[in-house]
Parts: sequence; C-alpha cells; structure tokens
Amino acid sequence: MGYVLEARGLHKRFKQVVAVDGVDLTVAAGERVALLGPNGAGKTTTLLMLLGAVTPDEGSIEIDGHRLPRGRSRGMAEVGFVAGYLPLPDRLRVREALSIFGGFYGMRRAEAAVAIERNLDRFGVSHLADRMCMELSSGQRTLVGIVKAVLHQPRLLVLDEPTASLDPDVAFRVRSGLIEVCDTEGTALLVTSHNMTEVERLCERVVFIAKGRVVADGTPAEVVAHYGHDDLEAVFMHLAGTRLDQDDI
Amino acid sequence: MSWLRIRTVVRRHYLVLWRQPNRWFDIVVWPLFDVLLFGSLGAFVAQENGASRATAPYLLAGIMLFHVLFQCQIAVATGFMEETWSRNLLNIMTTPITEVEYAAGLALYAFVKLVMAMVAITIAALVFFGFDLTAVGWSLVPIVGSLLLVGWAIALVVIGMLLRFGQSAEILAWGLNFVLLALSGVFSPITALPGVVQPVASILPTTYSFRAMRTVLDGGDIPWNDITAGVAGALVACLLSYGFVVHMLHVFRRRGFVTRFS
Repeated sequence: MGYVLEARGLHKRFKQVVAVDGVDLTVAAGERVALLGPNGAGKTTTLLMLLGAVTPDEGSIEIDGHRLPRGRSRGMAEVGFVAGYLPLPDRLRVREALSIFGGFYGMRRAEAAVAIERNLDRFGVSHLADRMCMELSSGQRTLVGIVKAVLHQPRLLVLDEPTASLDPDVAFRVRSGLIEVCDTEGTALLVTSHNMTEVERLCERVVFIAKGRVVADGTPAEVVAHYGHDDLEAVFMHLAGTRLDQDDI
Repeated sequence: MSWLRIRTVVRRHYLVLWRQPNRWFDIVVWPLFDVLLFGSLGAFVAQENGASRATAPYLLAGIMLFHVLFQCQIAVATGFMEETWSRNLLNIMTTPITEVEYAAGLALYAFVKLVMAMVAITIAALVFFGFDLTAVGWSLVPIVGSLLLVGWAIALVVIGMLLRFGQSAEILAWGLNFVLLALSGVFSPITALPGVVQPVASILPTTYSFRAMRTVLDGGDIPWNDITAGVAGALVACLLSYGFVVHMLHVFRRRGFVTRFS
C-alpha cells in the first residue's frame, strides 16, 4: 500500500517523562485518520515528530517517501499543517499571510493568488481576505489556517485540534471543506480531536493513544466493538478513566 | 536552495516593517541621532583643541561603520524574534523552507535595511557636519563587508541563544552590539582600553576593521594587513556562529522546545 506517512517505532522521552513509547503510525494516500487519546497521551508530541519539529529518540519517519530529518524539506512540501492554537503572523493581512506561505511552499505569487481565492471561497471566508490576521476571531483564524494548509494541494493534511472552541456551524463548515478537499484532491488527513462525533463523521480510521502507546487502531466501528462500548465517546472515556486510575495508583 | 523561498522571507519581513512605524526607529531615528551626538562631540573636541581635528571624522566614521554591524545584526535577530513574538515559528518549521534559506532571507532583508540606514546617516553626516564617508574610497568596501559579516554572525549567536533559552535571551539582541562597541576600538585605538580587556579586544575581527578605517582616514596607505585580518576573522566568526546555531537547533528539536513558542 502507498503510504504518504509511515512512522515506525517512535520513542520520545522528556527527562523522566516518556511521552511517546513505540508508536507505529501509517496513513495511506487519500485516507482520513484520527489520532485520539486523552490529554498527555502523546498525540501532539507524535504530531510534532511527524512534522520534523521534534526529533524522536528512536524510530523512523517517512513522508511521501522522504525520510526525516534528511528529507524534511521535500517531505514538508507534501504536508499542510494547521493547529487550532497557532495564529497566523499578526501584522499581515490574511491575503498577504497566505501568499507568504504559498511562497514557502514554492508557489509563485500569481499561482498562490488563484489558490488563495479558490480556498477562501471553499471555506466561506473570502470576506476576510483583507483583514489583519490579528483581528480574526479564533474560529476565523482556524478557517484561514486551514486555507493556509491546503493552499499547495498537499498529499497529507495534519490538523491538531482544528475545531476546538469553534461554534457548531463553523465546525460543520470546516468538516465539509475538509471532506471536499480530501475527495476532490485525494488528500490524506491526519487529525487530532477531542470531539468524537466529529471524528466519526470525518475519519474512516481511528488510532487511539494512551500513555504514549497505540492501544487501538481500526475503523470507528471496529474500535468501538473492541472495547464493547456504544460509541467512540465511551471508548475515549474508558481510556481516559484507565489513565486516571493508573495515575491514582 | 530555493531563491523563491529566500525572496519570500524578505517579503514577509518587508511587509512587517512597512506596517510597523516603530521599526523605522532602528533604521532612521537611532542612526540619525547617533550621527548628531558623535558628530557634535567630535566638533566640540576639535574646537577646544586644534590638535584633535581628526576627532570628528574618527567619531563620525566610527559610529557610521558601527551602524553597519548594528543594522545587520538587529535586522536578522529581530526578524527571527518577530516569528517568536507572533507565535509563527511552528508554522515556519512545518513548511519546506530550510534553515539556510531562512537565514539567507533574513540576511538579505538585513542588507536592504542596512542600505536604507546608511543612506540616511550618510546624508545626515554630510548635511550636518560636511563629512563624506564615501570619500574614504574603495578600501571602505572590504571594511564594510567584514562588519556586515560580523553583524550576521552575532545575529546567529543571538538566534542560537533564543532557541536554547527562549525569549529571556532577547536582551542579547541589543546587548551584544554594545559589548562590541566598547571593545572594538570603534572610536579610538584599543590601547586606550584598560589593559585587562585589551587581549579580548585584540581577538575581535571588528578591532582590525575599525583600525583600518582610522588608518585610511589619516590618509595612510591602505592597511591590507588589518583589512585581511578583519575579513578573515569575520569569516571565521560566521562559520563558528553558523555551527553554533545549527547545534542549538539540534538541541531545540531534540528537547521539544518548539512548544515554548506555540
């Protein structure tokens, strides 16, 4: 199977804390995968390693066949990243910021301008094009961040908590836009979220992490059946509860 | 290496500069008042003591060439700090831009800022004190070049410290310049410094560049020994600081410090 992302045996320790403990993670071309787990499970550390921003202690990462860290630049050319907690540069207008990121992804200004208009329209935020990034609300910032991430038609979209703190209607717009991007452009998706309903609507595969290890990997239905619960929400509560119990001990 | 990505870094920082009038303070206001301060000081000393007529050109040329180093250093360092202030570092790190491309973009942006600042202070020195730095001639080119390289080198050290110690290291962006201002014999030979710091001053490439400047101002032959020492020392400083920032980036990635800025 052709993987756009293939990570094997990832380990990461920060002093005495083992953040990631032997994670294997693959995302096939066009596949939509959710990386789930309670707070402190190791999701963000895993994502940061996959993006080349944190170096794993052990393990290997390949993005679209480019092995990190040597192939980071070519690998990142095929990745779009957005996190709900990350703003765009304050002192630029939305159109300018997007054009700058287009340039970082190797797009010429005219080419970027076309992609910017198309994607602002796709996510319903064309009216924000001339606003300063610092003036955006958190929801608008997320939508514009997603436009930034899809601008260069990446093969893999990595989203860290993209819809956290969004109104339901904006979250719906985000999901719809992402599904359209994935369906029309064949983009694979790796997303972290605490919204299980959203995950069930958006992703065809879920990977649960707890205490830095993958504890479940399959379709939402398979994972729910494995734990004998009714839905992903219950599985999440089960895993989070396990973690708390163990921490108490 | 992508020229497009390098140009994009320049464009990104140019837009920020354009939007923030306070950034023009570094380029125009400080240099202008430095010229006024040191020019008037030199003029006063020359009036009081006829034997000190060379003082004004020494002070003016010294402060103008110091601004070469200052502008390059501050533009690169604050360019990087802008990414930390706007929590944009992780966004940048997850694009294909390489460290070398990013540094090259900042260096180019610094060069553009330097040209703007030098135009402003050259005109100011000419109008207020009748001092024309360009009259020094072509020997100015390697002197300016060596100071430009040292400015970039210090900026890389500052960036390395920011990567390692976070925003508490920002003070170095301004502070290190003034260490060099004090120790490089910008306005006078380093023999005027206390004996205990002279050995430190003698290993700084900037010391040789400023000494070369004074020799040229005195109308002597072009001091190739000092110019060569200044340029060679600046190149070594650049290589060492590049190695330092690469090492700090390695530590930054290994210890997951990116979360400090996001």
